[in-house]
Formats: sequence, C-alpha cells, structure tokens
Amino acid sequence: MKKWEAILLKSFLYGLPILVVYAVFSYSVDWKNVPQSDNVLRMLYDLGGLILGVWMILAVSLSLRLIFSGNFREATLAKLTLIKERDERESFLTGRAAKSTMLASIAILIFLFCLSCFQVYYYTLPPEQVVEGKTKVISLGMRLDLFADEAGKAADAAAGGKSLWSYSGLPFSSSSIILGLIIWQIGFYHFSIKRMMK
Amino acid sequence: MTKTMTQLKVVNRLHVFRAEQRITQEQLAKEIGVTRATIVAIEGGGYNPSLELAFRLARYFKTDIQTIFSVEEEEQ
Repeated sequence: MKKWEAILLKSFLYGLPILVVYAVFSYSVDWKNVPQSDNVLRMLYDLGGLILGVWMILAVSLSLRLIFSGNFREATLAKLTLIKERDERESFLTGRAAKSTMLASIAILIFLFCLSCFQVYYYTLPPEQVVEGKTKVISLGMRLDLFADEAGKAADAAAGGKSLWSYSGLPFSSSSIILGLIIWQIGFYHFSIKRMMK
Repeated sequence: MTKTMTQLKVVNRLHVFRAEQRITQEQLAKEIGVTRATIVAIEGGGYNPSLELAFRLARYFKTDIQTIFSVEEEEQ
C-alpha cells in the first residue's frame, strides 16, 4: 500500500466517529430555536458539514481506488474483513470459503431477483365491473425494469377499485439491500472458514 | 465388466519425526514458516501439504519426502 493510500484509508476510518458525533449533534439541537447570534453552535454545524463534504470525497475516491487497484483492495479489504492468509493452508481454506460464499451469494441474488420481479395485487372491483357477484380479484404479474420506475410501480392495478393488498418488488431500499449483501458476504465467509477449520 | 477405482490416501509420520527430534508443533511451525494449526492439520491427516511445504519439512528433518509421506491405496 502506497503512503498516500494509507493516509486516505486512515482519514476515511478516523472520520467515521467524527461523523457519528456530528450526526448526533445535528439531531440533538433544535435548529429552529437556535438564535442567529449563537455563533459557536452555527460554526460547529458548518465545520461538521465541511468535514462531511471532505469525508464524502474521500469515500468516493477510496471506493474507486478499491475497484481499480488490486493490491490496494487486497491490502485493505483483507484487513477490514479479517481475512487471514498466514500460510498455504489458510490460503487454501480462504479460496474454498470464498467459493462457497460466492455461490451462496449468487443463490441469494437469484432469490432476490425473483422477488424483485414478482407483482401481486389483491383488490376489490368497482361496482360497475363486478361479474357474477365476484367482487375481489387477485392479479399476478412479472416486471423487469433496468431503471427505477417509481411511476410505473405505483400503477394502480385496481383501476378504480380498492386495493386490499399489493406486492410489487422488494420492500427494501437499494442502500439497505447493498449493505445487507456486504454484511452477508463477510458473515458467510467467516462462517464457512470456521466450519472448514474444524 | 466393472472397474474398481482406487483412491490414494496420503499418510505421514510427521509426529514420529517430531517426537524423535523432541520439538513441539509450535516450534516446528515456526521453523517451517507456517501456523501451528497447519502442523496439527497435517499430522491429523486433515490437510495434505503442497510439494513445497513437504520438501521444506523433509529438508528440516534431513530426510526425503517419501520417508515422511507415503500413500496407501483405498478401494472405493
């Protein structure tokens, strides 16, 4: 790892607790009732904002560096995810654990992909559309969008009727899914390697 | 006609050599440049070392690989 890369990484890591303090500080202060004359509070808020801005630039450059530099990726992520390769046996086990983690992750991604495509609507028909006294309808469908289409998602399948229950894709945000997958990958890797070491 | 497959099982006498030299697993691991867990795994038959590590072990005990490692045939 080059010296500037080490500085980049340390700044990113040491910035995290500062940002947590800043977030707590921002939420704990009732900004509507803070007088304009309270310069100390406003200065602290602005300083926190500046640190957040710098940290965000660091985070983006660090993640780009992780994508494009194999050596940096190995030196950093191996340390952060506690991967140990002290000898050939540990390297061998790491490879096997990485393989089982990758395959398990692909299985989960396929499952999530299916869930994200399925659509289910359960609704009551408007009185003019009722056929033979049947007032409730279950509508099943599949949808594959390359880009987020909130307007399309919100399309009302009930068409004038009252929606009783509907499912159109995963109820989680993209950030929470990505974070979940990162935690899953690290967790499953360590679970696999512990099992193999027994 | 049925073909019987034989599987080769690598066995080793590492613990014997270690006992003769009166060294612990920890000491051997340090000398060879691996972790103690690897020596434990090799002795227990849970891990077959690479050729390089096998040569390093043989060189350490001043013998050849076949004296430490041998194969047994197992019918499947």
